[in-house]
Amino acid sequence: MIKMENNFGTILDINLTTRKIQKIKLAPEDIKNFMGGRGLGMKILYDRIKPGQNPFAEDTPLIFMPGTFSGLPIPSASRTCIVTKSPHTSPKKAKYEHSSTVSYSNMGGFIGPEIKFAGYEGIVVTGKSPFPVYLKIEDDNVEIVDAGKFWGMPTDEFDKEFDKELKHEFQTCYIGKAGENQVSYACIISKASKTAGRAGTGAVMGSKNLKAIAVRGTKMPNVANPEKFMKLIDDARIFFKDRTQTQWWRDYGTAGALKPSSDAGSMAVKNYREGTFPDIVNYDAETARQKIWKRNYACYTCHLSCKKSGVVSEGRFKGTIVHDSPEYETGTMLGANLLLTNINDVMKAIYDGDNYGLDIISLGNTIGFLIEAKEKNLIDKDFLDGIDLKWNDIDSVLALIEKIAKREGIGELASKGVKVLSEKIGKGSDEFAMHVKGHELAAWNVHVNSGTGISYATANRGACHLNGKNVEGQNGNALKDSLAICFFATGWGGYDEQQLVDFVNAITGSNWTKEDFFKTGERIFNLEKMLNYREGFTAKDDVLPERFFKEPLTVGEKKGAVLNRKEWEQKMKDYYTERGWDIKTSKPKDETLKKLNLDFLV
Amino acid sequence: MEKSKKITDQTRRKFIKQVAIGGGLTIALGNLSFTFISDEKNPLLKKKVIICDFSICAGCKTCEISCSAYNFKNLAGKQTFGLVNPKHTNIKVHQFNPALDIPATCAGCPDTPCVNACPITINQETGEKALYVKEGTMAIAVHEDKCIGCGLCAKACETERVGVIRRNKETGKPEGLCTYCDGDPSCVKNCPYGALSYVTVDTEYEFFGKSPEEIAKILTERFYGV
Ligand code: SF4
Ligand code: SF4
Ligand code: SF4
Ligand code: SF4
Repeated sequence: MIKMENNFGTILDINLTTRKIQKIKLAPEDIKNFMGGRGLGMKILYDRIKPGQNPFAEDTPLIFMPGTFSGLPIPSASRTCIVTKSPHTSPKKAKYEHSSTVSYSNMGGFIGPEIKFAGYEGIVVTGKSPFPVYLKIEDDNVEIVDAGKFWGMPTDEFDKEFDKELKHEFQTCYIGKAGENQVSYACIISKASKTAGRAGTGAVMGSKNLKAIAVRGTKMPNVANPEKFMKLIDDARIFFKDRTQTQWWRDYGTAGALKPSSDAGSMAVKNYREGTFPDIVNYDAETARQKIWKRNYACYTCHLSCKKSGVVSEGRFKGTIVHDSPEYETGTMLGANLLLTNINDVMKAIYDGDNYGLDIISLGNTIGFLIEAKEKNLIDKDFLDGIDLKWNDIDSVLALIEKIAKREGIGELASKGVKVLSEKIGKGSDEFAMHVKGHELAAWNVHVNSGTGISYATANRGACHLNGKNVEGQNGNALKDSLAICFFATGWGGYDEQQLVDFVNAITGSNWTKEDFFKTGERIFNLEKMLNYREGFTAKDDVLPERFFKEPLTVGEKKGAVLNRKEWEQKMKDYYTERGWDIKTSKPKDETLKKLNLDFLV
Repeated sequence: MEKSKKITDQTRRKFIKQVAIGGGLTIALGNLSFTFISDEKNPLLKKKVIICDFSICAGCKTCEISCSAYNFKNLAGKQTFGLVNPKHTNIKVHQFNPALDIPATCAGCPDTPCVNACPITINQETGEKALYVKEGTMAIAVHEDKCIGCGLCAKACETERVGVIRRNKETGKPEGLCTYCDGDPSCVKNCPYGALSYVTVDTEYEFFGKSPEEIAKILTERFYGV
C-alpha cells in the first residue's frame, strides 16, 4: 500500500482560456495505481478527454509530469514526462475525425525535480491563451505572462534570453517556431539540449499559445523511511562509481552506438533501406571527440554525463554550437538516414532542427522519405518547391527543414509526417513511409532485429524504440517513465528492478515486490492501450512498413537480412496472447483489465 | 567597467600597505586577534578552500545536494536525511548556454573584502565583527545576534569577488557561506566526477575570486571559440 508521505499529492491546474489557476488534490488511489510521470499523467489524460477529442481543442490537457523519484537525490532521477493526446498519429480506419493515440514524451535535465520542489506532482495546462504567454511558477505563485516579444524566437536564442529575463533562477522548457506553427512533430526543449522530442507535444503546446514554462521551487519531498532511503542513496553512488559502463557513457554517450549499430546492420540508413553505413566513421563517437566535443555534461544528479557539447571548428558551418550531438538518434536520423557523410553538415542539420524545435527523428524520416520518393520519380522538383532534394546534400536538407518549420509550400504537407505525405503521393510510396500509426520509426532498423519491430509495432504512441522489445520490458519501461528514472541508468549494468523496487518502498512505505513493479507498468500500458482502442486503433494498426519484409539488406555483414512474414505474424499473436489481449482485434480482455484494477475500463 | 578581482601585484601592495597601517584591517581568528604586519603572516593564506576543475565538472548538481544536506541539517537544527532542496547550498552550480556549468563557492579571499565591509564594531574580547573568520576551518561565518542584515558583506563579495553571499529574504542576513563542512567537505566527497578538491587557497590561480559569469566568459571563449 502506497502511503502519501512522499507526495504533495497536488497538481497545478492552469486554464489559459479562463486564466483560472487551481491546485487540485489527486485521488490517493490514482497515485497508488499510477505512481507519477507517464502513468499518473495518463490517468489525468483519461479523466479529461473524450473519445475522438481534437488534440488541438482548447480543453485538451498538456500535462508536465515529474515522477515518484523526482526531487530526491537518487542518481539519474532527472526525467520529466509530457503527456497529452497525439496530434501526429491516426488509425487506418478512423472512428472519429480526430482519432489519435496517446502522446507521451520524456526529457532529462532539471525541470522535473524543480516542479517537485515547487510542490507539485505535475502541471496540467488546458485552454488557449488569446496571445502568446509563458507560465512563471514559483512555489505557490503562478503567473501567466505575456510572451509576445519571444514568439518566433529560435530555441537557442530563446534559452538565453528567457534565462536573462528570469534572472537565472528558474528551470525552463519551451517550444520553437515549429511548435508555434503546430508542426505535428514539434518538440519541447529544455536547456537547448534536452528534448521531449517525440509524439508532437510541442505542437499541442503551440496550439495553446504557450511559449514556455518556468519553474522554481523551494520545498522538498519527503520519504517514508529516511534511514533506509539514505542507505540506498549511498549504495547507489558507490554502485555507479564502480561500473565500467559509467565511463563508457562519459566517453561516448549514445554516439558510442553509431559504429557498432552500423556494423550490426541495425542502423537506419537511406530511409531504412539499409542497416550499415560505412561512412559513419566520419561522425562516430571517436571522430566527434576529436573534432567536435569539448565537454561531457549531465542531468540532475546523474553520474553518466552522456551529453556532449562542442562546436564546429572548420568549414562553412564553422562556429555552429553543438549542444549535444551527434548522439545515436540525431546522428543517424539526420546523418546516415540521409547518407550525409560530412560531420559538420550533420551538426548543422541537427542544430537547425533543434533551433526550430522539431523532433529530429520524425524530421529525418520525412526528409529521407521525400528524397527516396524523388529518386524514384514519384514526385518532382516542383512538388518540392524547386528544392533539388537528394542523398548526401546538406543544402537541400537545410532548405527543407526551414520550409517544414515554417509550414511554407511543401513544408505544409511535410509538417504532417510521412504517413500523410505517402497518402498524398500514393503510387506505392506507403511501402517506404517508415511509420507505425503515423509516428515515424526511430534510428534502429528492423531487418536484423524483429524485437525492435515489436517495440515499434506495439508502442502506444506509435513507433517507438524506447517501448521495449517484449511484454516484460514494455511494462518495466512504462513504470520507469513513471518513476522518472533515466533508461540509461537502468538495464545494461545500471539499476536492476530490485534496486528500483527498494527505492519505491523506502519512498512510499509500501511493500512492493518485483511483481508489483511490473504489474503497475502493465496497468499503465493497458490504460494507454484502451485509450487508443476507443479511438479505433486495432491489431490492423500494429503493423510494420512493408520494406522490412520485401527488401533484404544489400550492404554490410548482414546483407540479405529481411523479416519473415510468417514468423512475424506468429510473434504478434504470441505477444497479444501474453498480454491477455484479443488476437484479432488487440483489445485487452475484460479479465486482463480487471486483474490490473482497471475495472473502470471494462 | 572591468572590475579586477584577482589579487594583482598592485592590489597586493595595497593590501600590504593597508595591513601595515594597522587600523585598516583586522582579521580575527577565533579569539586570537591578528593585525598584519606582512601578508606572509596572514593565516588566511594557508586556508584550505574548495576549487573546481571546470573541464571535468559535468553540472550534475550532486555537490549542491550534498552541501544542502549537510549544512541545512545544521541550519535547521534537524535531521533532514539528505532530502533537501539544493537551493540551501553553499556551492551553487551556475548553468550557461553554450553548455557550461560553474560551481561557485567562497574563494577564501585572504584579504576578506566581506569581513572588511561589515560595519559592526569589533568586539574587543573576541576581536570579531558580525562577520568573522571561524577558528579551525577559517570559514567566514556570521554572528546572527550581532548581524543587522545590512547586506554590505554581500555587496562587497558581489562587486569584488565571487558573489556567493545570498541575503536571507526576511532578515537580510548572509547565507551561502561555505562552512567547509567542519573540515570534511561533503561536496568534494560526493562529486561523482572528482571535479572538486579541498586545497590551500591560491590567489594566483586563474579563476581565483572570479564571478561565475566572468569564468563562463573565459571558458566559453576557450571551449567554443565564441
Ligand atoms: S558534483 Fe561535481 S560534477 Fe556535479 S556539478 Fe558539482 S562539481 Fe560539477
Ligand atoms: S568569496 Fe566572498 S565571502 Fe568568500 S572570502 Fe571572498 S569576499 Fe568573502
Ligand atoms: S549583513 Fe550582517 S554580516 Fe553582513 S555586513 Fe551587514 S552586519 Fe555584517
Ligand atoms: S565544503 Fe561543505 S559547505 Fe562548503 S561548499 Fe562544499 S559541501 Fe558546501
